[in-house]
Amino acid sequence: MRERAQGCLLGLAVGDAMGAPAENMTAAAIAERWGRIDGFLTDEPAGTDDTEYATFSALLLLTHGPDLTSDHVADAWVTHLADRAGFPGAGFSELGTLENLRAGIRPPASGRHLHSWSDGLAMRSAVHGVFAAGEPAEAARLAAVDGAVSHDGEGIHAGVAVAAAVAAAMGGAEPGEIVDHARRAVPADSWTARSLAASVAHAGDTAALLDAVVVSQYPWTDLGPEAIALAFAAFLAAEGEFAAAVPGAVAMGRDADTTAAIAGALAGAHGGLGAVPAAWQALIGPVSGRCLGPVVAGWHPLDLADRLTERAGVSA
Amino acid sequence: MSARTEPDRVAGALLGLAIGDAAGWPSVRHRAHLLPPWTRRLHRELVEFSETEQVTTLPVPFSLNQPTQPLRLGPSDDAEWAAWTARWLLDSAGPITRAGVHAGWRRAALDEALPRGRISVATAADSLRRGIDPPVSGHDNPHHFDDAAAIRAVAIAAAVPDPARAAQVAGWDAEVTNADDGVAAAQVIAETVARLIAGEPLVASWTAAASRLPSNGLLAETTERALAATARAGSPAEAVPALAELVDHVYSYGVAAAQTVPVALALAQVNERSRGAPIDAVTAAVCLPALADSAPALTGALVGAACGADSWPAGWVARCRWLAGCCTGDLAGTDLVKLARQLAAWRGESDS
Repeated sequence: MRERAQGCLLGLAVGDAMGAPAENMTAAAIAERWGRIDGFLTDEPAGTDDTEYATFSALLLLTHGPDLTSDHVADAWVTHLADRAGFPGAGFSELGTLENLRAGIRPPASGRHLHSWSDGLAMRSAVHGVFAAGEPAEAARLAAVDGAVSHDGEGIHAGVAVAAAVAAAMGGAEPGEIVDHARRAVPADSWTARSLAASVAHAGDTAALLDAVVVSQYPWTDLGPEAIALAFAAFLAAEGEFAAAVPGAVAMGRDADTTAAIAGALAGAHGGLGAVPAAWQALIGPVSGRCLGPVVAGWHPLDLADRLTERAGVSA
Repeated sequence: MSARTEPDRVAGALLGLAIGDAAGWPSVRHRAHLLPPWTRRLHRELVEFSETEQVTTLPVPFSLNQPTQPLRLGPSDDAEWAAWTARWLLDSAGPITRAGVHAGWRRAALDEALPRGRISVATAADSLRRGIDPPVSGHDNPHHFDDAAAIRAVAIAAAVPDPARAAQVAGWDAEVTNADDGVAAAQVIAETVARLIAGEPLVASWTAAASRLPSNGLLAETTERALAATARAGSPAEAVPALAELVDHVYSYGVAAAQTVPVALALAQVNERSRGAPIDAVTAAVCLPALADSAPALTGALVGAACGADSWPAGWVARCRWLAGCCTGDLAGTDLVKLARQLAAWRGESDS
């Protein structure tokens, strides 16, 4: 279990850092600039908001365990994030949430802003799957508790899908079963469910996948249903193999740091730390805190994984 | 300030929508699409110039060696979408059905006959062309929450006299392009405007219609805040700073129904309470630049439906009754006064 937890959180950090330079680019532009993606795009890769928000959510689980409430999460956002002057890496959903929290609006109303369907919960909800290893329903519940602060509707569904899938992967499920768990965790009549269906149908055919799930009439790339469709398709196309899944997600572009982070979390939980190429592992250090500040700075994904596994063992 | 007849209030609603549409700063940007693309490219380069040269002189839409007519005061996207909606209502034979409304949209999308529209509309049109039907076309849509359908609902209320029936038809139309608050906004605007046209007062009309709002939605919440914040305002202009506090400055677009509808309603209520001239409510709405694409139009529709066509200043009516065709050439030259007369004559006739 510890091996899988480490693989998941380190995998998330690898995906985040590998995808960051390609964020908001098209698949064609990425191919033109870097050719076939088979590793990091820069010599000094750095994690972004995905790793930091996942760390933040993991710390909440360490403190509160299965008793986590949305109020705990809201209090932590207010204490650690609301007074920060700048917000590098934060998306609309995070800023909209902070505006609401600063105005005294509490969850779930704090998550009802104009960007409530973003992939911001999906980028941090792998940790709920690590904590509730082998229990997709419990992972989904915890992700929804955390997500109520910052998301609503499809944003919650997308996050819940990732948490359930990671929990299943932690329990040893195969890639196809892992995606089935994600699909079962979300309402059948939802955008997220339809996106996941497209993800399964078009895994391995990037052009068809992008055509099916990308809203070309919209300029931003952080839609939850879209991001998880790309991440799950990359995971499926690679048959769960980390070294192919993460570069595969990066190559698709769009919100590439988040999609690759999710693909990395899935593949890392599935294959364990050993599945993450050693050279990539070596490039991941402790979280810098560039986005969220001192509350997350200094945490290494491997240490965090160990602590989450211990904490889950205590609660079990 | 009660208008005399229903036809007068039908025209008041449509003209109010067009006057508000024209008054907001985005209107001229939409109308600039009647000029060649290179004029807008030069505009973008001048924005870039002001940035690189660090000057505070910002460009305005300009015509260079082209006709200036499109850049003069006049209505744009919202008035054209209301007219487009009025046209299909007038063309419909027999009772309006959900399947019929959806089939009309599908046909227009496949024929590439839809006017240029908001992100919600463009996304839905693409879905319809791919065989994805309503309500999924409106639901799996990044801007499902916008007020595109609320604008169209004004035309539906102008055509369908029964308030509940107007809300029903507006809901069928709205679910093509929107979901959740985006659909609720259309239903509430349709019912409110229908009640106003029937001669009911604004507060009673809204209260009856607002029972349709999802109680935990952003639209209901923001409406409550907007009404509370402006409860003591002595005039629409006075209400502006309080409403400015509610404006979202995080997101890149200002067309959320949960933003524009509450502002329009609050300004209309203040205006009614203070017995102001309808145009004062519109010019106040224009003072919220982030919402200026459609909040003034919705404000104008509500105030105009209550007060009637004669309550609008003649100069505004003269400029705003004619559509420019900036979203579809098919509507260029359309006279909203004539269209309102047709709607008033048609009202409910074939929908039974």
